[in-house]
Amino acid sequence: MIRVEDLSLTIGEASILRHVSFDIAPGKVTALVGESGSGKSMTAFTVMGLQPRSAEVTGRVMLDDRNLLDAGEKQLNRIRGNRIGMIFQEPMTALNPVKTIGDQVAETLLIHGKTSRAEAHRIAAEKLTRVGLPPDRFPLSRFPHELSGGQRQRVAIAMAIALSPELLIADEPTTALDVTTQAQILDLLNELVDESGMSLLLITHDLAVVAGMADQVAVMKEGEIVEADATEPLFRGMRHDYTKRLFAATSHQPQRSPLPPDDVILDLAGVVCEYPGRRRGLFGRSDPFRAVNEVSFKLHAGESLGLVGESGCGKSTLTRAILGLDPVQGGTIDAFGKRIGPDFPNALRSGIQVVFQDPYASFNPRWRVERLVAEPFHLMPTPPADRRERVAEVLRDVGLPADAMGRYIHEFSGGQRQRIAIARALITRPELIVLDEAVSALDVSIRAQILDLIARLQAEHRLAYIFISHDLSVVRAVTDRVMVMKAGEIVEAGETQTVFNAPRHPYTRQLIAATPRIPEDWQEAKHA
Amino acid sequence: MLRFALTRALSLALSLVVASVVIFAVIEVIPGDPAAYMLGMNASPEAVEALRDQLGLNGSIPERYISWMGGMLTGDFGTSYTYKVPVSELVAQRLNVSVPLALYALVLSTIIAIPVGLIAASTRGSVADYGIMGATQLGIAVPNFWFAMILVFIFAVTLRWFNAGGFPGWDAGLWPGLKALTLPAVALALPQASILARVMRSALIETLGQDYIRTARAKGLSRGQATTRHALRNALIPVLTIIGLQFSFLLAGAIIIENVFYLPGLGRLIFQGITQRDLVVVESLVMLLVFAVILVTFLVDIAYAAVDPRLRKPR
Repeated sequence: MIRVEDLSLTIGEASILRHVSFDIAPGKVTALVGESGSGKSMTAFTVMGLQPRSAEVTGRVMLDDRNLLDAGEKQLNRIRGNRIGMIFQEPMTALNPVKTIGDQVAETLLIHGKTSRAEAHRIAAEKLTRVGLPPDRFPLSRFPHELSGGQRQRVAIAMAIALSPELLIADEPTTALDVTTQAQILDLLNELVDESGMSLLLITHDLAVVAGMADQVAVMKEGEIVEADATEPLFRGMRHDYTKRLFAATSHQPQRSPLPPDDVILDLAGVVCEYPGRRRGLFGRSDPFRAVNEVSFKLHAGESLGLVGESGCGKSTLTRAILGLDPVQGGTIDAFGKRIGPDFPNALRSGIQVVFQDPYASFNPRWRVERLVAEPFHLMPTPPADRRERVAEVLRDVGLPADAMGRYIHEFSGGQRQRIAIARALITRPELIVLDEAVSALDVSIRAQILDLIARLQAEHRLAYIFISHDLSVVRAVTDRVMVMKAGEIVEAGETQTVFNAPRHPYTRQLIAATPRIPEDWQEAKHA
Repeated sequence: MLRFALTRALSLALSLVVASVVIFAVIEVIPGDPAAYMLGMNASPEAVEALRDQLGLNGSIPERYISWMGGMLTGDFGTSYTYKVPVSELVAQRLNVSVPLALYALVLSTIIAIPVGLIAASTRGSVADYGIMGATQLGIAVPNFWFAMILVFIFAVTLRWFNAGGFPGWDAGLWPGLKALTLPAVALALPQASILARVMRSALIETLGQDYIRTARAKGLSRGQATTRHALRNALIPVLTIIGLQFSFLLAGAIIIENVFYLPGLGRLIFQGITQRDLVVVESLVMLLVFAVILVTFLVDIAYAAVDPRLRKPR
């Protein structure tokens, strides 16, 4: 129903899209796959006529017999939301925080002048019910901040399908969501396509999601479509090199050989973390919220331990407790034989380092890399005299040139920034590094490189890792043991392969089932 | 929402008590005997003592604090040393000028600033935007008494539309009163409007970059519709903050403008109170201004909550 022909887009000197052509068939799911910067989102925006004002566009976007690139703003406004709906990646910020969900869904109907106000609210209630938010449990008067991320994405979908558009564009609709929520949203999108005959343009970086959803796939790289085909033939064939590389990176297994068991370096016994309850009146408080409930485990030197669970399960709170950032309300944490608390010696503290998810936000943008990387030295009683050499050494260790020292963090790509974060963690020669969603924000090919780096450093420096992630496939690839956390408790723990191959707890099974995967036989065909 | 308002009101009351203690303590430690000062150099000790009694300056500190607060609450602010009339009477006359003037200036400033900020933000980078940014820069840089003098020159001296100064009192009717306050209000409003317009512009530009504006556009709203229906209300929070601060400033900080236009306002009363060491007046006025500031803060808090549902839960 929509045909994109020879679409090119430049902003100033930069060529963002080059000769992009593809068809979106009625009632089918078409996927655009690629890494960040490949131009897949820009393609979607251009179809909507929402490309940046400074962009120069050539080619054609044909809807029926009309080229949307020639359409005026008024005509486009009549098409947007009416014939083409769109949802975005970040459900937390995609809704107006000061308007009720009912008003926001009804607005789609009202703005196109289709119905009266009362009728629009009746249809809004109907659509919200359809996406799983029935008004008896989720009244139209709710505000976005009263809903979870998955629920907000459902509201966004209700807004986009309020007028039953012929095409829904979904730009990374589940990237910011947990795996079980992701599975629910993808199911919902599938159902909508099946029951209404709507087309879906799915934009994603995740090949596994594509394999489970799409009828047609186009793979994008640097503004070009490098390969396009029906989904199964594309996965079986993998004619283009880039598709192969993308696929290999997705299921990348770093080379690693587990180290023999060693001393216990971290010992948690019955750890409880609580947050104060909400204020009630002036002096009262409701019961405290228990974020981590009676967690006990031991970690050995050189061991790699995974911690998986959905957002809000207590992973981050537990991490903060281990790092000694927040006091615990019960139980004990011992590291290197000493109790973690206000008296924990700084010299030992330098033995535990951390790498966070966002490689940009965790650096001071006004410091040079040398100072950023050398910062943990303040934990040592006397900073080493060979400070510069040490910094150069760890930078080399993580695969960065020594001249990186004199530069600022904004001069580096996402993958390089994460290397710098790892260098900063390595500088004190720690025994334990906590990797808190350390590869979650990275593109698959960069992620594969960082995972290799992490594995190599473990072998060379005999590091222990606590690897925290919501991404089961990554945890499976890099850990010896894994713990599954739910609502503040460890519900299952054991050897990684055992837990994944024969999960005992229903929650673990649920998590594994929700993880999208590429069918085994499609992959075998390729390897054969 | 009601619970939110009640909790805020309670914290308002507590702030007032704390402020009153601080003000009382400060006035206590300032050296000098007001009674001796009022009676002059040659007064007999007996006369001074008698006046001290009359002024309520004898007695323990808690007693005096309580009688002062009690007086405040019942509208008895004490008697001015220099004017020899009840402070409440003095203040009431001045408030009759200062409150309408501050409100007048604030309304003008808001009426000018919000559309101007809106135009600048939605035509960002255009000639109109540059023009507005330049004009507001000038508005902030030029002192308000200079505006006042220019206004007097144009509208009072040359065109003779307004009087150059003075205030006829509200007994003369609403229109003559407003007319007398117009030039001072404009002079006060111009710099405030310049600040407010710039705040409005930058808040709106930030809001226009938010994801939900993109969502609104994807629904089929035009750029203008997305701005007025979605961005405007979200951009109001910083604007409300500034409006609150400006009102407090306008109430007591208009002294120069009051002098230029010869208006009997609060600013001049404070100035006279301080120069003549009329501590009863100063004490009462400071307390009154603190009350005004806290009240405005309270109203701004309520306005925040009306604008943004996320702020309605009691903290």
